[in-house]
Amino acid sequence: MKLEGAATRGTRTGLDLTDPNFWRAGAISTTLVMLVVLAFLSIDSMRVISVGGAHVPRYDVVNQHIGYRYDWSRRADVPVIGGAEPLFGVTLTEAQATALVREGKLVIQSRACMDCHTFFGNGAYYGPDLTKSWLDPAWPQIWMPMTGKPTREEAMVAFLMHPDQYPTWNRRMPNLRLSEREARATVTYLKWMSAIDTNGFPANFGQTHAQQ
Amino acid sequence: MTPAALIETALLLGVLVLAGGGYGGLYSVGRLRARPALVRAGWVCWVAAFAVALVIAVATPLEAGWKLLVLGSAIVYAVIPPVTWRYLERLHVEAERGR
Amino acid sequence: MYRSQKLSLRYFTAAIVLFGVMILFGLLSALYYLYPSMLFNVFNFSTSKILHIDTLVIWLLMAFMGAVYWYLPKELGREIEGMWLAEATFWVFCAVVAVVALVFVFVQYGSASEFSLWFINQGRKYVEAPRWASIGVVAVMLVFAYNVIGTAVKARKMTGIMWVLVLDLIPLLLVYLDAFPAPTNLSVDLYWWWWLVHMWVESTWEVLIGCVMALVLMDVMGTPRRIVEAWLYIEVMLVLGAGILGLGHHYFWIGTPRYWLGIGGFFSALEPLPLLGMVVHSIYDAGMHRMKTANRPAFFWITAEAFGNFIGAGVWGFMMTLPQINLFSHGTQWTVSHGHFAFYGAYVCGVLAVFYVAKQKIAGVDFLDGRAWRWSFALFNFGMVGMVMGLLISGMAQAFYGRAIGGSTLMAFTQASENPWFLAGMYARMGFGVIFALGYVVLVYDLLTAPRRALVAQPAPLEPA
Repeated sequence: MKLEGAATRGTRTGLDLTDPNFWRAGAISTTLVMLVVLAFLSIDSMRVISVGGAHVPRYDVVNQHIGYRYDWSRRADVPVIGGAEPLFGVTLTEAQATALVREGKLVIQSRACMDCHTFFGNGAYYGPDLTKSWLDPAWPQIWMPMTGKPTREEAMVAFLMHPDQYPTWNRRMPNLRLSEREARATVTYLKWMSAIDTNGFPANFGQTHAQQ
Repeated sequence: MTPAALIETALLLGVLVLAGGGYGGLYSVGRLRARPALVRAGWVCWVAAFAVALVIAVATPLEAGWKLLVLGSAIVYAVIPPVTWRYLERLHVEAERGR
Repeated sequence: MYRSQKLSLRYFTAAIVLFGVMILFGLLSALYYLYPSMLFNVFNFSTSKILHIDTLVIWLLMAFMGAVYWYLPKELGREIEGMWLAEATFWVFCAVVAVVALVFVFVQYGSASEFSLWFINQGRKYVEAPRWASIGVVAVMLVFAYNVIGTAVKARKMTGIMWVLVLDLIPLLLVYLDAFPAPTNLSVDLYWWWWLVHMWVESTWEVLIGCVMALVLMDVMGTPRRIVEAWLYIEVMLVLGAGILGLGHHYFWIGTPRYWLGIGGFFSALEPLPLLGMVVHSIYDAGMHRMKTANRPAFFWITAEAFGNFIGAGVWGFMMTLPQINLFSHGTQWTVSHGHFAFYGAYVCGVLAVFYVAKQKIAGVDFLDGRAWRWSFALFNFGMVGMVMGLLISGMAQAFYGRAIGGSTLMAFTQASENPWFLAGMYARMGFGVIFALGYVVLVYDLLTAPRRALVAQPAPLEPA
């Protein structure tokens, strides 16, 4: 058998596509090439998505007004960083902002917010997406009057500390026993997150189709 | 992209791949059972898939690059079942010969 | 029976139990959508969902490990190296899972501190298990890798399938290390998290199930080794060729550079092509080897794997992968539809085939058939298709009304969730979920019941073309 195989192989010209070794070489080379490309793209992406990179602002952006506007050159919505608008009336240093945002992330993880909500569309789909929750018109239109708070961030804190006391139409948010400090940290996190350039997700935020 | 176009385009994309799968399935069963009618039915599925690709290219608001990719995919679908089948037959013939 | 095959049976048992737990919490999670005030402040949706998705990962992982322990001694011609360690590790694995689950249920969450991440809940999807448990999982996988590699070294023998498996275990283990960090920057967090999730379920797991299916094909259908090897290499080449940069289809909206829209969308759109080849292959095998099939349920589940993978991952994925569509479909029940269908088609079907291989061996019959498995097969497939169709309708309604028309705000989300189409889909999902659960009940009954000895004669073999 072996001899026959060797003999036929000797007379065969070109590639033997039924030889597993050919495909093994193909699998190895394809995988390696793709991994190398991925490595280069990852290095470049880290540059863009690190804090202070092109798409992700520094944490002290929470001291400023954050908007979201359609950019015709990019054909996508982009965050717009505006003038001074300190959170809770306090302008933070970068170190203070970093500490608050870090604590906010610990809240989000320890309460498993991503197992009801989505962040950049990732997570669970029971509660609303929180990417632009800082910009949600519900805060000034509904929650500020309902909680009686004069600012958006204070209304958010009031809600987060006792979500079970406020009606939310059909689905309900349970009480996750946030302290006031944790709630403020979470709000800081949400404000910072809304300033990240997500290539336009979510699209047309806050605009109904009639307005588009 | 209008809301309606969103749903229509997504459905067309799904139908394209499904038709490609129908082609692959019918072609394969047709070759397996030596039934040319089934193989022909498979080709009809592919024609339908390609027609869907044309509709996507002409009537949806996708960007040009994506439309090209969709058309290219539809063309590649034509090739996959016969090439795969021929290759599998060859693999098994070689294996038989090697015994 | 080899000692490691006895361990396989334990892993399969644990896997099937966790499969049942997964279904239970799946049904419960679905119920919240219909009765939102249910168990309010007592047992949250998030806890139910965590249990549902984490048991998904664990039960499939245990089934894979069982499959490898099953076939490894036959592949390498000797007992597994380090069996006592493997046997002890099994119980450690079960204990870790049990403790983590109990903490999820009874403690649920802690304060915003490192302590919570180490001992209660890490809150990162699929890897919510606290860090101490992640260390446990790493230890389990290291022992597994030692079993596999150590045996190969001792046997002084490697097959092509073994090489692929061993090389696959390295990235499988490495990317799991992302279960530990908690970066403040969500973009960076999600960037690496996707290396774990995508490189597991859309890369290393694909290769792993490819290896397992190769072993099953040789076993159940008598396919020659040279053929399954060639096919395995082709599959690895195509799946990783498309899947490694297909990772980019998770990098559209998390703050990453714009070029990912093009790269991710392009490679992701290529992913259905190898799956079509697998459908052709499965039909070829069905025809060519049917006369040699000694295990009908395993054969049917292998075939279901090819079709389910193509439709669930290929068709459903292609519908939502282009960025212009994904911008609206991302993070809706549309995603859920695709996720359920793809996991089922790509992994569950293949794993069920392996369970039936084991059943035949335990029962000691030359030919395995029966009536119960057919009912289970029908209920599972009918239930799954119904579920994903319901979820697709809900998801499309959500994308249409909540995103495209409504502008993705809280009110838009709320209104979309009250839309009649959305609700219809949720009810359908519930109903078909119950049918799927019935399929599970019949599966367990069938796997526990010995087959009848008096067997029906095989049908006449087909004439190949």
